Amino acid sequence: MKRSYLPVALLLAVLMLNIIFTQYMVHQYFYENYTNTIIAAIINVILFPVAFLIYKKGVNVHD
Amino acid sequence: MTDKNNKIPFNEDNYTHNINRNNERKLDRRGFMKTLVGAAGVFAVSSLPWGALAAKELSGLGDKKYPKQKITDVKALPVGDAVDFAFPGEHDSAILIRLSETKYVAYQNACTHLRCPVFWKKNEGEMLCPCHHGKFDVETGAPIAGPPRRPLPEIYVKVENDAVYAVGVKRYEA
Repeated sequence: MKRSYLPVALLLAVLMLNIIFTQYMVHQYFYENYTNTIIAAIINVILFPVAFLIYKKGVNVHD
Repeated sequence: MTDKNNKIPFNEDNYTHNINRNNERKLDRRGFMKTLVGAAGVFAVSSLPWGALAAKELSGLGDKKYPKQKITDVKALPVGDAVDFAFPGEHDSAILIRLSETKYVAYQNACTHLRCPVFWKKNEGEMLCPCHHGKFDVETGAPIAGPPRRPLPEIYVKVENDAVYAVGVKRYEA
């Protein structure tokens, strides 16, 4: 049983991006740059299906 | 089996003989990835309120609207003088100060310490609360001396047809 840890690394990268954009979003909200806040929120929402797709691909291939 | 089942208690020294929890806490690669996807989902859901709040701010739904109210005629207020009025409600006393030919400032004049009325000291060029000698900067409404720690709430004014109107209250954040 050969496992690929590439999806795990990708998911960790996605989570790191989540953290970055969440902090960016909160800070931009308090600096009253509301357009940037919305952009960061949308990116955060889009990252979830991305993570789910990475999981789907990664689970079925080598496990 | 049936004859064993109805003999209570079992001939054992514990009652957990049929609970099998081997490897229950083992986190394999798949489970770890599931956790990561779940965390991404939590981040996504928790982003929604921030987006909603930002959209609300952008669309201006949070701004309160008051009907504009005439304060005084331009001719009746020489440069450097002040006039009292009430805005937005009839008990929200406020003060309008003419700083120059074209520059007007208006604040709600309840002192942010104990709500005494704040007066405009023309000679000293500052706003004074006589109760405890609190002073405010006339340009911004920020407290500069005495007990008050918070600025005076600012009122937006507009000059139209030789009269000064109060059009809104600045959002108060202090």
